[in-house]
Amino acid sequence: MTAGPRPASAAPRTRGRTLRVVFAGMLGLAATGAATAAGGVLVLYSNDRLLPANIEIDRGLRDAIASSAHAGIDQYTEFLDQPAFSGAEYERAFASYLDTKYRTRTPSVILVAGGDALEFLLRHRARTFVGVPAVHLGIDIAQLQSLQPLPADVVGVAVEYDYARTVGMALRLHPGVERLVVITGASDWDREWEALLRAGLPRLGLAPRIEYLAGLPSGELLARVADLGRGDVVYTPSYFEDGAGKSFIPRDAVARIAAASGAPVYAPYSTFLGAGIAGGFMSSYVDIGRQAGQVAAALLSGAAPSGLRLPPSVPAVAQVDWRQVLRWKVDPERIPQDAVVLFREPTFWQANRSKVLAFAAVIALQAVLIVALLVERRLRQRTASALAESELRMSLAARAARLSMWIWDAARDRFWTTNRLAGDGEPAAAAPMRFDQVLASVHPADRAALDSAARGALARGEEFDIEYRALLPDGEERWIAARGRAEREDGERLVGVALDVTPRKSAELQAAKDRAALTHMTRVSMLGQLSASIAHQLNQPLAAILGNAEAARQMLRRPDVDVAELGAICDDIISEDQRAADVIRRLGALYKRGELRLAVLDLNQLVSETLDLVRTELDTRHVEVAVALASAPPVVDGERVQLQQVLLNLILNGADAMRAIDPAQRRLLIGTEVDGATVSVSVVDRGTGIAPDDLKSVFDPFWSTKADGIGIGLAICQSIVSAHRGTLDVANNADAGATFRMVLPLRRDG
Amino acid sequence: MERVFLVDDDAAVRKALARALRAQGLQVEAYESAEAFLARPDPAARGCLVLDVSMPGLDGLELQRRLAGTGSMPPIVFLTGCGDIPMSVRAIKAGAADFLTKPVQVAVLLDAVRAALAADEAALSARADLDALQRRLATLTPRELEVLESVARGRLNKQIAGDLGIVEQTVKFHRARIMARLQARTAAELMHIAARLGIGRTGAD
Repeated sequence: MTAGPRPASAAPRTRGRTLRVVFAGMLGLAATGAATAAGGVLVLYSNDRLLPANIEIDRGLRDAIASSAHAGIDQYTEFLDQPAFSGAEYERAFASYLDTKYRTRTPSVILVAGGDALEFLLRHRARTFVGVPAVHLGIDIAQLQSLQPLPADVVGVAVEYDYARTVGMALRLHPGVERLVVITGASDWDREWEALLRAGLPRLGLAPRIEYLAGLPSGELLARVADLGRGDVVYTPSYFEDGAGKSFIPRDAVARIAAASGAPVYAPYSTFLGAGIAGGFMSSYVDIGRQAGQVAAALLSGAAPSGLRLPPSVPAVAQVDWRQVLRWKVDPERIPQDAVVLFREPTFWQANRSKVLAFAAVIALQAVLIVALLVERRLRQRTASALAESELRMSLAARAARLSMWIWDAARDRFWTTNRLAGDGEPAAAAPMRFDQVLASVHPADRAALDSAARGALARGEEFDIEYRALLPDGEERWIAARGRAEREDGERLVGVALDVTPRKSAELQAAKDRAALTHMTRVSMLGQLSASIAHQLNQPLAAILGNAEAARQMLRRPDVDVAELGAICDDIISEDQRAADVIRRLGALYKRGELRLAVLDLNQLVSETLDLVRTELDTRHVEVAVALASAPPVVDGERVQLQQVLLNLILNGADAMRAIDPAQRRLLIGTEVDGATVSVSVVDRGTGIAPDDLKSVFDPFWSTKADGIGIGLAICQSIVSAHRGTLDVANNADAGATFRMVLPLRRDG
Repeated sequence: MERVFLVDDDAAVRKALARALRAQGLQVEAYESAEAFLARPDPAARGCLVLDVSMPGLDGLELQRRLAGTGSMPPIVFLTGCGDIPMSVRAIKAGAADFLTKPVQVAVLLDAVRAALAADEAALSARADLDALQRRLATLTPRELEVLESVARGRLNKQIAGDLGIVEQTVKFHRARIMARLQARTAAELMHIAARLGIGRTGAD
């Protein structure tokens, strides 16, 4: 593919126009991995596979998809191989090849890299890859405008080849420049660049005069640039073809220019970095690929193309080749603060300061360990208890091993640690990692949080404190508590410690799990008490269905079939079947042990459903129920099953409290109320009430007045209500019995 | 026609069972509660009560208890959606004809209803027979009653004459009168009637 700028001055293109290549430097990504499943992602590149930009885009793209929810998806790659191959016949054949190849394996998303690939897709979309959403990438803003309007399901983020900022940066790095030399080539594409620059540069109002070396044969051009000297800078997008009609890979062409030039060379494409150019404002192709990969992942997740909120362009950053800085004796003070400095060979102290500190840290830790071992040996000699000895040994070893120190030099993106937390025992002398490598060893769900915590602390010069899961190479998961501080004296860096807190975290998670299990267990045991009631609930509709079906069968034996009555019977069977299914669905939810899922809940409805469930039980116990529901819907954000558990518990408790009184007096009042920002549900019984001394203890675990109770029902109710940011309390009624009242926050609209 | 009083608080169940029983040719009166059944216009009408056990207000077992108190208890077939053994034992001990669990097949319900009605019918006619016998017994003179008791105890005419201080011929005369009044055609039949009336069983030597 190609991502190239289309100069803004280019006339709007017509669809039938021959494809032209835009640019060089790009990519190629070897297609790997055999496809085994339908779906997948197809990447169509404009140019050939070995262009450096293509390779970098591919890296960013695979990286983005691998860290998305679609990590395992198949990725296919195709190359249009512009400009080596072009023409209408080639294009038709290529389209038909794609059509045949992907007929049984239609991709879910197509990525088109570069303007040529996008134009190709737009021309053939009516027949090939019909209806498959597409993501474009690496296309210059100006070219993209010439292709508007794009179909609604073709989206992407543009690239800005910002010659104005690049030239501005060059002039800033080289004060006293008198002449800006602009080099372009002879191909159509090169001419478009030339037109763009000729139109745009004068408008910048630059102090130096501008000289154009356009469409020269390479030999002459190289001789001309060799004559440049102090007071000159060169800007070039390089070229595909020189004035003698010879073809070039733009990166090779620019490398020759830079090698020969007596003045620093600036360029718009990041793939030229390392080929001898001094720098420029440019987007990294890895970023371009990553951005497109994220868009593709969103589409794969079912996002509507029109609903994506995409930035206008992939951000460009100042990039400088440090070797060129030295070559052209640029004052380092003039390099922008946020510039990415490449190929810098640091001084010994610069390079090793953090390592030395890290060594010191390791030595300190080793000293601690040695002292600990010595102490341990002394203790071992003294103590007779083998058990105490081994416990001590383990705790010392663990203490010594679980802590590590780390330093992240953000400016150079180098990360050292005394221990990789990976448990692989790599010493501090190991090569530093990049921060993205550190992030790669973090659980995907925690990556973004760690990244933003670290970068946030760096940006604000603050401390940060975070817990995350690290993934060891063997797949084991460890909980790490990291704490760091930004230091700004020499470049931005974070220093801190990391502690393996897996045991504590496991205990916390286990406690939460236990709590959930206990909640579930009490719910299921409560349902056990209700088994008769539940059986009744299910048997009623079954009885009605059976009765209706048998009546129908009998009627069919008669000569005069009453069709209307048979229809009514069928309707009744269907509605009773629905009733049974509802009972099973509601019960299933209560028996299931699920995660907490908040949903919009109408408590009036919840009260009615819960009463359905216990009606038979209450009938058997001769408890009469009265309901007073709020007229405004008492709506909360709640977990249906858990709040139903609370209600069930309160209702059964109320019924239990009335066991000892005359059946004629057993009356339970259940009411809901909306009051300002809160909703309450109260359960009022007419029972014996609660002894004043016990009022405080009813919610304590293992407190029960029932001979057969274990006393966790109300404790669990209270923990459920607290988890809903509500309160549960109890008071004795003035006349008889007690009132349990659950108050929850009212759900706000929206 | 066989009549069924169906009492169930669940409208859908009530409707379905009424349909099914009617389709089998039974006459069905359906009530939504025990109270509604008690308030029906003709309390003495005979029929089989098909009764749901658990209902709000007066439940099935309670209705059974009340009907027993009135002395005119119809045969009852209980239906329950959640029957347990103690509940069914209680119901049967209190005189229920059957105790079925929902969902119930109509054939089973029909058998239970018919058996209950037949048993009720038999019980009714047995009671009517006994009533008639007792009315006849009441027409015997004290002396004839004495003779009947002795006959029922298996004493011979001669022994009875000795016991009562009368001649054997008079005993024979009494026996003929007794057989005529009790409408017994043979001596064996007389013994049977006496047994049904409980005569001669108590006060035996």
